[in-house]
Amino acid sequence: MIGFQKIKEKIGKGTFAAAAIVCTISVVAIFGFLIVKSVPALIRIGFFDFLFGSEWAPDREDGFTGNISGSYGIFKMIVGTLAATTGAVLIGGIIGYFTAVFLAFYCPKAIKRPFAAVINLLAGIPSVVYGFFGITFLLPLLAKIAPNNGSGLLATSLILGVMILPTVVSLSKTSLEAVPKTYYEGAVAMGSTKSQAIFKILSPSAKSGITASLILGTGRALGETMAVIMVAGNSVAYPEGFFSSFRVLTANIVLEMGYAGDLQQGALIATGVVLLVFVLLINTAFNLVSGKVVTSAVKRSTKKKEKATEENDKHNPVSEFFKKLNDRVKGFSFSPKYSEAKKYISVVNGLIAGLMLFVVVGFVFYKGVPELVKNPSIIYGRYEYGSKSVTILPSIITTLYTVGLSLLISVPIGVSAAIFLNEYANAKNPLIRIIRVSIDVLSGVPSIVYGLFGMITFVKFFTGSSSIIAGVCTISMMLLPTIVRSVEESLKSVPDGLREGSYALGAGKVRTIFKIVLPSALPGILSAIILATGRIVSESAPFVYTMGSVISATPKSVTDSGATLAVALYNLSREGWHLSEAYAAAVVLIVIVLLLNLLAEVLATKLQRKTK
Amino acid sequence: MKKKIMAIIASAIACVSLFAFAACGNNDSGNGNSEAKEKDITIIAREQASGTREAFDKVVTDGNGNYLNMKDENGKTVYATTSKATLLDGTGAVLSSVASDENAIGYISLGSVDDTVKVVKVNGVTPSKATVLDGTYSIQRPFVVMTNKAVTLTPLAEDFLKFLKSSEMQAVCDADGVIFLTDEAKRANEGETPIAVGTFEKLATIPSGKIVLRGSTSMEKVIDGAVKAYAAIYGVEAGNIVDKQLQGSSVGKSEAKKDTVGNVIGLSSAAVKDEKLNSFNLCLDAVAVIVNKKNDKVENLTIKNLYDIYTGKIVKFSEIK
Repeated sequence: MIGFQKIKEKIGKGTFAAAAIVCTISVVAIFGFLIVKSVPALIRIGFFDFLFGSEWAPDREDGFTGNISGSYGIFKMIVGTLAATTGAVLIGGIIGYFTAVFLAFYCPKAIKRPFAAVINLLAGIPSVVYGFFGITFLLPLLAKIAPNNGSGLLATSLILGVMILPTVVSLSKTSLEAVPKTYYEGAVAMGSTKSQAIFKILSPSAKSGITASLILGTGRALGETMAVIMVAGNSVAYPEGFFSSFRVLTANIVLEMGYAGDLQQGALIATGVVLLVFVLLINTAFNLVSGKVVTSAVKRSTKKKEKATEENDKHNPVSEFFKKLNDRVKGFSFSPKYSEAKKYISVVNGLIAGLMLFVVVGFVFYKGVPELVKNPSIIYGRYEYGSKSVTILPSIITTLYTVGLSLLISVPIGVSAAIFLNEYANAKNPLIRIIRVSIDVLSGVPSIVYGLFGMITFVKFFTGSSSIIAGVCTISMMLLPTIVRSVEESLKSVPDGLREGSYALGAGKVRTIFKIVLPSALPGILSAIILATGRIVSESAPFVYTMGSVISATPKSVTDSGATLAVALYNLSREGWHLSEAYAAAVVLIVIVLLLNLLAEVLATKLQRKTK
Repeated sequence: MKKKIMAIIASAIACVSLFAFAACGNNDSGNGNSEAKEKDITIIAREQASGTREAFDKVVTDGNGNYLNMKDENGKTVYATTSKATLLDGTGAVLSSVASDENAIGYISLGSVDDTVKVVKVNGVTPSKATVLDGTYSIQRPFVVMTNKAVTLTPLAEDFLKFLKSSEMQAVCDADGVIFLTDEAKRANEGETPIAVGTFEKLATIPSGKIVLRGSTSMEKVIDGAVKAYAAIYGVEAGNIVDKQLQGSSVGKSEAKKDTVGNVIGLSSAAVKDEKLNSFNLCLDAVAVIVNKKNDKVENLTIKNLYDIYTGKIVKFSEIK
C-alpha cells in the first residue's frame, strides 16, 4: 500500500515536471526561432543603426548580399510603442483595478456574476472588430476635438486600454477574492471600516496577483496589432501630442510581413525581438518594484522622520512646512474618508467599464444584426467555392474544433506546469526563476511571431500545408504562458493551512493537490480557461500562416485547412468586398463567446457544488 | 469638511476617468460653427509594402521627375508621402475610414469601390475599363501569375495556365471588376516574347491532382472566378481541384520559387521581374482615388494635385486650384 502510494506520488511529480519541461521547451524554441531569424539581418543592417536609426524605408529587393537600398531604423516606433503602452496601461490598469475591487467587494450580488461574465466577453471580441469600432465610432468622435481625424496616441491608448481590461479585471478580481476572510475580519475587529479594510489590508495582500495581471495586460498591449493599425495612423514618426500619426512595433511587423523581402523579413522579426526585450524589462521592473516597495517605503519614512527632527532643531521654516504637510497627508491617507472616496472611485470605474463594454458590443450589434436579419443564410448557407454569397458555417465549425482541441492540449499542460512551479519547485532555485521569467516574457511575443514560428515548424511537421492541427499547436503554444501564469496565481492564493491540514490527515502530496488545492483554486483556473478561450476565438494572426487564410469547405479532419471565425472576419473585411457580412460574422462570434462563457459558468457551479 | 474633500476627489477622479468617453460625448453638440473652419485633409495611404500603394506611388509625380516612391542618387529608396498620413493595412479599412471622415482622401482597387464613397477623376479621366486599357487613366497595376522556371508543370497546372491566358478568361475578369489585358506585348515582361490570347481547348478529361494557389489577397475574387469557370468547363467541383491560401504577394512569389512538384501558381498584385520565375500579366487593376460622399469640394484632381496632397504641400481641399 505504501509502495503504491510512493509510485503514485512519483508519477504525479513526473507528470507535472514533464509539463513544466514542455513549457520550457516551447520557450527555448521560440527564442531560438527569433534568434536564428533575426541575427543575420541585424548583422547586415548593424545593431546600432537598427535600434537607434530613425529612418524606416525598406526595399523588398534587399537581400543578405549586395547593396542595401532601404533604411531599417526602428527608433521612432520604439518611442511610439512605449507611449501607447503607457497610455493603455494607465487607462486599462486604473479602470481595471478599481473595477476588480468593485466586482470583488462592492458589487450587488445579483449583478456580480453576469457583470464578470460580460467583462470576460470583451476578451473574446477579435481585435479587427475593435479596429473597425475605432475607425467608424471612436475616431469620428475624437475628430471633433482633434485637429486631425482623431487617430493617434489617445485613440490607440483608449482602444488598447479597453482591450486589456478583461485580463486586468479578471485576474485582479481572482486574487482579491482569494485573500483569506480572516484578514478582513481582523481589520474590521481592529476598528477599520469596510473600505479601509479593503484598500489597506486586502488590496496590498493581493499585490502579487494584481501585479501579475498588470504584467499580462502590459504584454497584451505591447503585442496587440490589428486594432492599433486602424487607429494609430502608422506613419513612421514620433507621437507628437495626442493626435498625430505614429507607428508601434507590432504594427510594423503586420503591415509589412506579407510583402517583405528577405532582409526586410529578418528586420521585422528583429522588431519582434525588441518587443520581447521590452516585456523582459517591464517584468523585471515590476518584480523589483513589487518586491522592494514595502521595505524601501518603511526605510524612507524612518529616514525622513530622523531628518525632519534634525532639521526641526534648527527651526527651518521650509522643513517645518513639509513636516506639517507630510503629517496632513498621512493623516488624510489613513482617514477612513480617504478609503471611502476610493470606494466611490471603484463604483464609478465599474460603471465606466460597463459603459465601455456596452458601447463596443452595442456597436457590433448595431452594424451586424441588420445584415444577419437581411441575409440569414450567412450562418447556415452551404459552402460553395468562389460563390458570391458568403457563408460562415465552415468557420463556425472550424472555430469550435479549434477551441476544443487547443484547450485539450494547452489546459492540462499549462495547469500541470503551474502545479509543478507552485507546489514542487523551489522558488529560489535560479533555474525555476528563469523559467518563470521566460514564461512571463513569452506573453509579450506578438502573435504573428507565433504564426511564423508555426509556419516553419508545425505546418512542415504535419502536412506541409496549412492544417487545423498546425494552427491548434501554434495557438496552444501561445496560450501556455497565460494559462501557466494565471493558474499559478490562483494556486498561490490557496492558503497553506489547507495543505498542511490535508498532510496532517495523512494525505499524500498528489492527493492533496487533486482533492484540496485544485478545487480551491478552481474559480481562478476557470477564469484562466475562459480568457484563453476568448483569445483562441479572437486571434487571427497565428492562424493565417498555419491553419488557413481563406474561408474554405467544412473541415473533415484535423489535417484539412480552415479559417476560424476571426480569420474569416478579417478576410471578409480586408479587401472591402464584404464589410457588412464581416460585422454579421462578428455578432455570431460574440454570441459564441457568450455561450462558451455561460457553459464555463455552469460547469464551475456544478463542480463547486460537487466538491462541497 | 472632510466629506466635502472626499466628494470633490471622488468627482474629480470620476471626471478624469470619464474624460475618455465623455469628452467625445460633450462635443456632439456645440460644433455648429465648425463650417467656418475647414479641417485639414485626412490623408489615407496604404502600408509601404502594399501593391496598391506601389502602383499609386510610382505614378504620382510633381512633373519634375519626383515621385512618391523613387530611388535617390545613392540608390536609397525614398518615400515622399508625408508622415502626417494615416497608413492602413487593408482596402476594407481605407474604405471605412474614408466613408466615416468628411475630410479624408484615399486610394483603393477599383473593384472594391462601393457606394459608401465617391470616386474622383484623375487628370479629368474617370477610371474605367476603356480608360485603363488605353492608358489615359494612369494609376493602374498588373495582376501577375507566376510559376517556377526550374520545374515542369503538372498537366493540371499547365492546362489551368492555358485557361488563364485564353479569351475565356476575359468574361471572368469583366465579372469581377478587373480588366483583362489583351495587349500581347504588355502581357509579357519588357524584352520578353509577347504572350498571345488563345482560345481554350478543353482536354478529354481533366488531369488529376490539385493546383496550389498562393499569394496576393487582392486577387482572390478574380482567381476564384477563374477556378470556378475552369471547373465548370470540365463539370467538376471547384473546391476539389485547388488548394488556395492567400497571405500576400511576396508569399506567392517565394512559394512559387520553392515549388518542386510543378503545381504551385503564385499570384502577385504588383509587377514581377524575377529570373527564377515565369510570369505573365493576367489583367489590369485601376487604383481609384476616393473621398467622402459628402465631399463636394473635389470632383477632379491632377496627378500634381495628388502629389502635393500626399507630400503635405496641400493641406486643405479649398487650396486645390
